[in-house]
Amino acid sequence: MDLQLALIFLQQGIASGLVSGSVYALLALAIVVIFKTSDVPNFAQGEVFMAAGYVALYLFVFQQMPIWVVLPATLVVAFLAMALFRRFVLDQVAKSAKDLVYLVIATLGLSYVLKGLVRRTGFGDTPRSFPALVPTDSIMIGQASVTLLDLAIFGTAVVVMAAFFWMFNYTKIGRAMRAVGMNPKAAQLVGVDLRRCHMLIWGLSGVISAIAALLISPKILMTADMGSIVMLAFAAAIVGGFSSLPGAVVGGFVIGIVENLVGLFISSRAIVLAPFLAILIVLVLRPQGLFGGKLTIKKV
Amino acid sequence: MRTTRVAVGLALAASLFTGLAARAEDPGITDKAIKIGIFGPLSGPNMAYGFDVVNAAKMYYDKINKEGGIHGRKIEYVVEDDRCNANDLVAAVKKLVEQDQVFMLNGGSCSAAVVAAKDYVVRNKVPLLMLNASGDGALFPPTDYIFGAYSISQYAVGGAMIEFAAKKLGAKTVAYINHDDAYGAWNLEGSKKDAEVNGVKLVVESVNPNINDVTAPFLKLRAANPDAILLVTYARPAALLIKKAHEMGFNKPIILSVTGTASLGQLAENVGKDALKNFYTQEVMIDSPGGAKLKPIYDMYKAAYPDLAAKPDHPQTYMPYGIPSAMSLVKALQDAGPNPTREKVLAALKTQDFDSGVMAGRIQFGPQQRAANRSTIFIKYDGNTMTPLPGVFTSRWTYQAK
Amino acid sequence: MSSSPLASAPEGRPGLPGAALGGLALAALLAVALPFFTTGYVVYIANLLLVFVVLCLGLHIVIGETGQFSMAHAAFYGIGIYASALANRAVDLPYPFAMLFGALVAGAVGLFIGALALRMRDIYLALATFAFGEAMQWVFANWDSVTNGPNGLRIAPARFGPLEILSDKQAYPFVLFFCLLAIGFTVVVSRSRLGRAFRAVRESEVAAMAMGIDVRRTRVIGFGLSAAVAGFAGGMFGLFQTFIHPDSLGFQTTILVLTMVVVGGLGSIWGAIGGAIVFGLISEVLRQAPQYQEIIYGAILMLFMMYAPHGLFAFVGERIREARHGR
Repeated sequence: MDLQLALIFLQQGIASGLVSGSVYALLALAIVVIFKTSDVPNFAQGEVFMAAGYVALYLFVFQQMPIWVVLPATLVVAFLAMALFRRFVLDQVAKSAKDLVYLVIATLGLSYVLKGLVRRTGFGDTPRSFPALVPTDSIMIGQASVTLLDLAIFGTAVVVMAAFFWMFNYTKIGRAMRAVGMNPKAAQLVGVDLRRCHMLIWGLSGVISAIAALLISPKILMTADMGSIVMLAFAAAIVGGFSSLPGAVVGGFVIGIVENLVGLFISSRAIVLAPFLAILIVLVLRPQGLFGGKLTIKKV
Repeated sequence: MRTTRVAVGLALAASLFTGLAARAEDPGITDKAIKIGIFGPLSGPNMAYGFDVVNAAKMYYDKINKEGGIHGRKIEYVVEDDRCNANDLVAAVKKLVEQDQVFMLNGGSCSAAVVAAKDYVVRNKVPLLMLNASGDGALFPPTDYIFGAYSISQYAVGGAMIEFAAKKLGAKTVAYINHDDAYGAWNLEGSKKDAEVNGVKLVVESVNPNINDVTAPFLKLRAANPDAILLVTYARPAALLIKKAHEMGFNKPIILSVTGTASLGQLAENVGKDALKNFYTQEVMIDSPGGAKLKPIYDMYKAAYPDLAAKPDHPQTYMPYGIPSAMSLVKALQDAGPNPTREKVLAALKTQDFDSGVMAGRIQFGPQQRAANRSTIFIKYDGNTMTPLPGVFTSRWTYQAK
Repeated sequence: MSSSPLASAPEGRPGLPGAALGGLALAALLAVALPFFTTGYVVYIANLLLVFVVLCLGLHIVIGETGQFSMAHAAFYGIGIYASALANRAVDLPYPFAMLFGALVAGAVGLFIGALALRMRDIYLALATFAFGEAMQWVFANWDSVTNGPNGLRIAPARFGPLEILSDKQAYPFVLFFCLLAIGFTVVVSRSRLGRAFRAVRESEVAAMAMGIDVRRTRVIGFGLSAAVAGFAGGMFGLFQTFIHPDSLGFQTTILVLTMVVVGGLGSIWGAIGGAIVFGLISEVLRQAPQYQEIIYGAILMLFMMYAPHGLFAFVGERIREARHGR
């Protein structure tokens, strides 16, 4: 490979990687915020993302509703679904059993139910796309070509993440959430309503997933199995340390770029392997991730 | 030695069951009826590949029954879900053969899974006519019992595309994107002969069907400066690549294989009409899906399944593929005479050669040939209209014993 | 696994109530008589269930006994299938040697993963093993020269001296025997010093260390044994199946096994066995209701976790006790 070509590959790989990476970052954020506060890795996050995409598709394309109704409606549905799952399913599971594995399996159950429901509608068979709200004309940045849609995805993701950081770090409700994550008992003592706080966190995580779905659906096409993209988000979360919000975001970008560079400079076949190798390598060499502090080990 | 004694005991028990396993001659056939076992993916992620194909086969058998059956016998069918998963498919096949005692099998929509049934079907000498699976792994090396590729042999898919690219578009360097699965391995192998004869240089990238970002494979192929891109992928990766090509300003011809054309209207919606300015798609039927020549089949579907037909996306694109498979089965039973046995049906299949009126080529088997169809047509599609191009393109690939 | 295995076969546990013992005897009778009154299809399902019983035992060792989260079970199972199928093809020895080879290879890989797993636990361990499982599936699908890649590998019939296994009914006695062998092995391990060490580590590593248990070594051995049993199940699969495709060795399979163990009741050998049989049957029956199976499957998982997290048997037992006390 000559240098000229390698440079083009590098620029394009990074540019495209940042765009898909911004969506992985959003999903990773949704996973990490739940993990930080509930200690549960939500294996249904991908299906929540997928189902939210289909809600939007259904309202917008099949019911022909105006977009200013569709967007908030989708976010509300995602919020309610996740908050109610937390309230009525997980609270009950937590009441019956203490171990992590039970909560994890309950989220796996949710993922099957959502997938089955979407397939029942009959819209999940053919790949579909949520119409892009931004034109897909290309522009050149350096020697990399990106579309306006790409820029919009990247920009929206960054704004949403920034807004979430602000909420999590500088508002009263955000402080309550962080308190719940650090020490639920103490948080309760100082007057935090644990149940409501958890519902709020899960709901918000659903909203972030729904935003990710709205952003990327015009780009990667929707099928009932699109939730498998969550693996890339898990990889991103691991790379970022799994309990660090900024880590999750940087992890998302890293995974997006690594995916492309592996494809360009190693083999297209290895693209799907990249996130798993990233998880393994990070966990073995630096289990706390690139951004995690010291690794907290829970002793029973 | 206790262990030896255990082994002898187990072996004895096993040989006892061998006797039990021997069955009476040719089950599933009476003076009134012939029982057929149908299986396909009726649930799960691969449902789109087989659900309506099964329905098409069923409605064709119903039609034959309405017309009086075959030599006075009605066709009875039992349907099983195989989920396109090897273990479940084998369970379905064994249930149909041993529990339901069917005369012959008509099933399989996913190539990788259907191969898992090969040894069982051959050992039990049950005729198996696949539905729309290409299933080349079970068809070659040829056996006496398995017939398939009524849609098309995957070995022939890529070769026919190269034939078209070279002859009609004058391509010399061709970018070829396939999957890293069984389909991909077969179609690439079949393509090599046609590439060599036409003096075409192949540049290959293999991708996983679950790929999300196709930037890397596309950039690598563009760097080879190809005259045309052949997309031998499923619908979703194909749409992603077409979009990417458009975004990157690639304007040479793009040819999409039949495996990626689940719904052309949906494809246009997914990639935008502008991306389809220089776009061709491969078709194994005589006409584009829903086209005039196939209208009777679609009318039949609407009459048979009014509820399904009212649902979005139904009939599914692959629906008509169920017809030639069922036709072939009915024809073999007719040719086997008034007292058909499995052996007679199999003998009839080996020399079967007829025009289904549905597929681009004839349904044609032979002494070594177990893949019914190897021919395709090409359609120019601009996002609005499908224009079938003249000419039938056939791959040179034939099975060579290794 | 070599010394007089039958001696350790479970013959009813001390303290098991009479009804349970009677049920066990009935099950044993049913198991032996099965091929005489059913079709090959039913025997095939039985064979598959027995393989899943052994897979569940393997997962039980690592999750139930040592309390470590492993999500790579399909990978070890696959390694066992490929290794024993390839060994069977390469050398002309009775099939148990191939099975042993499969178990050893899987066990060796398990030890290696176990050593890596020392560096992490809980969710990190779950994700690391998950990633390993996915990577292995990729290897099965892409290492063409060994696994025949995406074309899938044809498994030659198993041979025992002059006998060649060609049908499910022929395979059944062997599958049943090896399954009992695996159950016996697991029971023996569980009741041995090692088993006590496993549980001590699960309950509290600090206490285990105080008792003089080498915690690191115990955890690694737990992983290795678990993987070896899964590999052994892979060898059993080759007794009656003629084909293996990488598609069937993915996360789905791992989740299926995990679900079985959990539905049966985490931490109990009999729960793992019962879970495999009950959930395996549910899964086969659901094939008859294709439109709703994913929804039903998911609902079962959620409802079990909500109302019967300690497994089906604990749930039924509790209800019975409640009914008795109520009277």
